[in-house]
Amino acid sequence: MKLDGEQFLNADPQTVWTALFDRDVLAGAIPGCESLDQLSATEFAAVVKLKIGPVSARFKGDVELSDIVPGQSCTLSGKGSGGIAGFAKGAAQVTLTPEAGGTRLCYDADVAVGGKLASLGNRLIGATAQKLTDAFFANLSDALTPPEEARSA
Amino acid sequence: MKHLLSTTVNGEQVQEAVSPRTSLADFLREDMGLTGTHLGCEMGACGACLVLMDGAPVHACLVLAVQAEGCTVETIEGLTETGAAADLQARFHDRNALQCGYCTNGMLMSAQALLAANPDPSRDEIRDALSGNYCRCTGYEAIVDAIAATASDRAGRSETKTEAAQ
Amino acid sequence: MTLHIGQSARRENARRHLAGRGRFVSDLTLPRMLHAVFVRSPMARGRILEIDTSEASACPGVVRIFTAPELNVRCTPWVGTLGHFAGMQSPPMNILAEEEVLWTGHPVAMILARSRAEAEDAAELVMLDIEDAEPVTDGAAALRPGAPLANPAARDNLCYEAVLETADVDAAFVGAAHVVETSMTFGRHTAVTLEPRAVIADFDASSGALTVHHGTQTPYQFQDVYARHFGLSEGKVRVIAPDVGGSFGMKLHVYNEEMGAVAASLILGRPVRYVADRLESFLSDIHARDHIVKGRMALDADGTILAMEVDDLTQVGAVSAYPRTSAAEGNQVIRLMGAPYRMPDYRGRLSVAFQNKVQTSQYRAVGHPIACAVTEALVERAAEATELDPFEIRARNLIADDAYPHVSATGYQFEKLSHQACLAKLHEMMDPEALRAEHASLRKQGIHRGFGIASFVEITNPGAAFYGVGGARISAQDGAVVRMMPSGDIHCAISVTEQGQGTETIIAQVVADQLGVTPERVSVTTGDTATTPSGGATWACRGAGIGGETALRAGRRLRDRILTLAGALVQADPASLRLENGAVVDGSGAARITLEEIGRIATYRPDTLPDGIDHSLTVAHHFAPTGYPFDFTNGIQGSLVEVDVETGLVRILKHWIVEDCGRIINPLLVDEQIRGGVVQGLGPAFFEECQYDADGQLTNGSLADYLVPMACEMPDIEIAHIETPTGDTILGAKGVGEAGTAAAGAAAMNAVNDALRPFGARLTQTPMTPLRILDALDAAREERTDP
Repeated sequence: MKLDGEQFLNADPQTVWTALFDRDVLAGAIPGCESLDQLSATEFAAVVKLKIGPVSARFKGDVELSDIVPGQSCTLSGKGSGGIAGFAKGAAQVTLTPEAGGTRLCYDADVAVGGKLASLGNRLIGATAQKLTDAFFANLSDALTPPEEARSA
Repeated sequence: MKHLLSTTVNGEQVQEAVSPRTSLADFLREDMGLTGTHLGCEMGACGACLVLMDGAPVHACLVLAVQAEGCTVETIEGLTETGAAADLQARFHDRNALQCGYCTNGMLMSAQALLAANPDPSRDEIRDALSGNYCRCTGYEAIVDAIAATASDRAGRSETKTEAAQ
Repeated sequence: MTLHIGQSARRENARRHLAGRGRFVSDLTLPRMLHAVFVRSPMARGRILEIDTSEASACPGVVRIFTAPELNVRCTPWVGTLGHFAGMQSPPMNILAEEEVLWTGHPVAMILARSRAEAEDAAELVMLDIEDAEPVTDGAAALRPGAPLANPAARDNLCYEAVLETADVDAAFVGAAHVVETSMTFGRHTAVTLEPRAVIADFDASSGALTVHHGTQTPYQFQDVYARHFGLSEGKVRVIAPDVGGSFGMKLHVYNEEMGAVAASLILGRPVRYVADRLESFLSDIHARDHIVKGRMALDADGTILAMEVDDLTQVGAVSAYPRTSAAEGNQVIRLMGAPYRMPDYRGRLSVAFQNKVQTSQYRAVGHPIACAVTEALVERAAEATELDPFEIRARNLIADDAYPHVSATGYQFEKLSHQACLAKLHEMMDPEALRAEHASLRKQGIHRGFGIASFVEITNPGAAFYGVGGARISAQDGAVVRMMPSGDIHCAISVTEQGQGTETIIAQVVADQLGVTPERVSVTTGDTATTPSGGATWACRGAGIGGETALRAGRRLRDRILTLAGALVQADPASLRLENGAVVDGSGAARITLEEIGRIATYRPDTLPDGIDHSLTVAHHFAPTGYPFDFTNGIQGSLVEVDVETGLVRILKHWIVEDCGRIINPLLVDEQIRGGVVQGLGPAFFEECQYDADGQLTNGSLADYLVPMACEMPDIEIAHIETPTGDTILGAKGVGEAGTAAAGAAAMNAVNDALRPFGARLTQTPMTPLRILDALDAAREERTDP
């Protein structure tokens, strides 16, 4: 399933870029993230709890950043196993473009799910995946917005 | 943590400790031994688990046992003992409106509720009323016939199938 | 004497169900019983790297978790091939996946807990690490050279192939005045029995006895399977099939989960229960059909069929089903093509391909709906090409009722069928001229109706030619033990089984007539290998024809025994006596002694009988079909539909069927078998489809997403009969359970295409969903505007 979208972030590209590689920022931005261990500069091990339709599951998996063009673009990919609930995997091509007052982040993602998630929740997966993706970038945006601005906004 | 449930099942006062997540269907089948209530899909689509709760048909797979607190629940076993659906059951038998028997409980519940609300349903109305009851064996026509015949019986008419179909 | 055969006796056992007193395996609880839940592969194809059960093992209520190494060693692998399918391959299968997972839903671990809920809780905590691989989902691609293997243990993805041809088929096409063609796709669907598969395996280590309560249609087959695959003596294995909530062929295959329940019970010495939930049913019950067929038909200028040529590709999953194989359906597809017609030449090719999906295998009307739909779609196109009426082209080509015996171009031997009589009767019931006139006037109002018809042949009463000759331990014979009780009541224990079709009722009717009693005095026991003789049970429409004949012959042997005894008691020649109204009567019709009195003397006062007389009032008889390899039945169906060309929705307005199943034992039960069968044919024609994505994920595994036919969508079904008894048996009955399913879809597709004819649109794929109907209309529109 293909997902794409864009998000205006209230920070310059370098700040956004750094945030994408920051364990704490990622941990806060991934919806349902219970733990995120940094294995290397570009690899993380994650535990994420999600509910999709009738299926709720804790996914254990890996998140990896690749195809890195510093400050401009990278591929954020992940795959996770939710045991009996199934699995999810996906990759998002992320590009950063400077724009007045901040950065335009565009993403183009391909997501696949399997197992019980696919068999029972298929009609909900598209909407849920979009919602989770939106939540991730919204969380990222929040993390990049200075606290005082967030309060006044 | 179990919850002490007080309810009335087939006219008997029942007090049982149940888990909060136990469905009414599992409670009836496993705790009460009322295995006439069947499970076919566990998502309210097939109608095999229908029971009457305070007189209205509900999917026992979608209702938690604890939601029956203070309610009266009637299952096929109770309906049989009181004789409330004896004429309907006799028409089902006469018309062979069941094969494997797994959907029969739910069919009788839907039919009983339909005839209570609409004593003189058309064949289309009967088919509509069964739209949440799945039967893999009969092809439905015999069930429709049996319900139509019961409606006629209850109205004091004695119609044949062809008359009822018109 | 046929007082009760032919009567619409009511089913005594239906009363229990109406009172909520059914006895299904899923209702049964045994002491110390454990509940099994399977952890399944979420991927269609992959390699197991790790199964971490540590967290799950610690869950409350969990007693044991098995993975392949502990469980599979208890069971010898099974292989779904048959000797008479030359060249067929299928890799061995065992209970749990060992290294490779082969379909989404393939069991990889088994959890046993004190409740189903606790087992499910634990299952959620099993962590699977499976390295996924590209699955093989498309059968046509799978057969191309160099294609990746769906099952790495197979030589290639070709499970089986066969060609059937007559010498002159090519010449027939060369010389034809008309050649019509079609290419059709038949979706995957599944049985969706309302009671899912259910088993409780109970091994008692102290006695070494295994009792399996199993919701199956073939208990003796499973007694043999469990004994052989678990190294037990057959005498120590008992299989009990009580009430079964629907089978339709789906509940006679060997499944990983049932074998797992037996293995776990053998290891733990406790009863182990497995009842599939609905999702598991979709992921593990056999699926049906999944065919892509190319077909063409040659006709002369008068519309006489000269030949057919078909190529069937069927896609069966990653292994062939056991013990009947997944090739039997395709084999029947290519043999049933053109079966109702006087067609001299034929070529049929069959390719059976492996792929990473749930396995397909025998389901009600094995192969028939495919062969019938292809044949009847071609006949419909031939009618268009030759400008003949659909009834007329069939009248010209159906095998004449006086032309039997007849051997079909595919080698089937027909004893005596009644196609022409059925066609004439259907014409009378449908009144097609009136329908045509009505449809023409409705079209002016924008209402588009159509009707379609489809002739069919059904295979029933199979002998050993089906499976036995291929080495499968599947019985073609059945057995009955009939006894008279001291009261004069009769009991019959018989190997054919009851799934609600009314087996016990018709057996009582048949036995009653042999013994001069009412069916109420005949009790019947079925479905328990310990209390009934061994036999084939329920498959391929054999209950009435073979089971009924077994009961008839057993009843006659008991009759002879009773009359011999009665002759001694009343001092008359047994040949001058007969049984009537519960008594022995003489030639004048006078009652000489009641059955009750004979029972009393034989049981309680045998000392008063003449010396040496045999007073045993129990007889056993086994019967296997002889004569023709199968008793074919025939019939024709008609369908009337209305298509909304804006939404693609179809209303099925009416369905007709004329059917000839030989001697009818119970008209009420026969008609309800036909109606149920028709609806099981209409379901996959319009609604039912197991949908997979490109990754081999089943994406509609619930009754909210998989559409089954419901009451409000189904029509009333009008039925008529022609009766042509088989001469192979005394009873003359043939089977009827699959007739409705065989041709309902074919008739419906012809009806939809009749409604769409003015638009130039044509459906060639099932199910005929609204989207596919709209697509066909769009394609026709584009063709018109851009020729």
